[in-house]
Amino acid sequence: MTDTADLERGYRRWLRWYPRAFPREHEAEILAVLLAGARAGQRQPEPMECLDLLRSALWMRLRPRVPRSNRAAFTAVRLMCVGAVVELAAAITIVVTIGDVRSNVVNRNPGLTEAQWQAVVAGQLEPVAVAAGIAVGFWLWMAWAIGRGHRWARIAFASFFALNTVGLLQGLIRGSAVYARLDLAIGSVLWLVELVAVALIFHTELASSPSGASRITPGS
Amino acid sequence: MTKRTMQEATFLILTALAAGSQHGYGIIADVAQISDGRVRLRAGTLYSALDRLRLDGLVTVDREEIVGGRLRRYYRLTPEGSRQLAAEAARFQANAAAALARLGLAGGTAG
Repeated sequence: MTDTADLERGYRRWLRWYPRAFPREHEAEILAVLLAGARAGQRQPEPMECLDLLRSALWMRLRPRVPRSNRAAFTAVRLMCVGAVVELAAAITIVVTIGDVRSNVVNRNPGLTEAQWQAVVAGQLEPVAVAAGIAVGFWLWMAWAIGRGHRWARIAFASFFALNTVGLLQGLIRGSAVYARLDLAIGSVLWLVELVAVALIFHTELASSPSGASRITPGS
Repeated sequence: MTKRTMQEATFLILTALAAGSQHGYGIIADVAQISDGRVRLRAGTLYSALDRLRLDGLVTVDREEIVGGRLRRYYRLTPEGSRQLAAEAARFQANAAAALARLGLAGGTAG
């Protein structure tokens, strides 16, 4: 087997990391560029070339595919990333402020035993922390889906917003804010971010071809 | 709200295409020449940028050729790409002029 054939096979292996539609349209021309730039006698892709192909392949899988001119969708994606960061902060806050919550609970219930407190942690605080962790993943998933133009994500995110609205109202009615005001503040910030994101994604038209696999023809 | 500035690699790719259509390897070579060897684009970075620029309507595929059994796809600027490149170049020029003028005032001489 020739050096070029070895090298081409090596490049093809790395091009498999790209979204499926991309190599279909671009593999031949990228291979031509990679082979044109290879050193004489090179038999395998160099580490920096592999890193560059891997980095751009992963970025192409994750980045939004809506045009920048679609500002509403672009802003919504950014807001959802902000939401993920705030949600992560909320999860951390729950863990960090657990001592404050315990003090408040003990002040209101002086006879609280250790077993009762552990029941509160297991029954209420741990599920909230786990839910916040899941929500971080959900925010990022929605940012990705909206960025790829998936219309179903609008409904999914609107449902998430409705659930959180109900949860926030229930928390206020039950007086949970008395125990951890910071949680309420973060919850309110998240709710506002969700509200704006929902308004933006329903305000704009999302692409009907989320894969971005538009066929390339000269002039396209 | 401030307008988002263009990344240097994007600016150089658009500059490489400003004089006419080019294929991928031609763009890489031209960008290296324009930047005096400072910016050396790799294929992954170039095609990721071209994909984004195409999606944003700044570049388009001009034509395709088979050379030595290999596909060459030529890209060119769209009118919007030319407009955005001109606007960015003017912005760089204004900033550079302001910096040079201030250096001249501060040091007595610019050079």
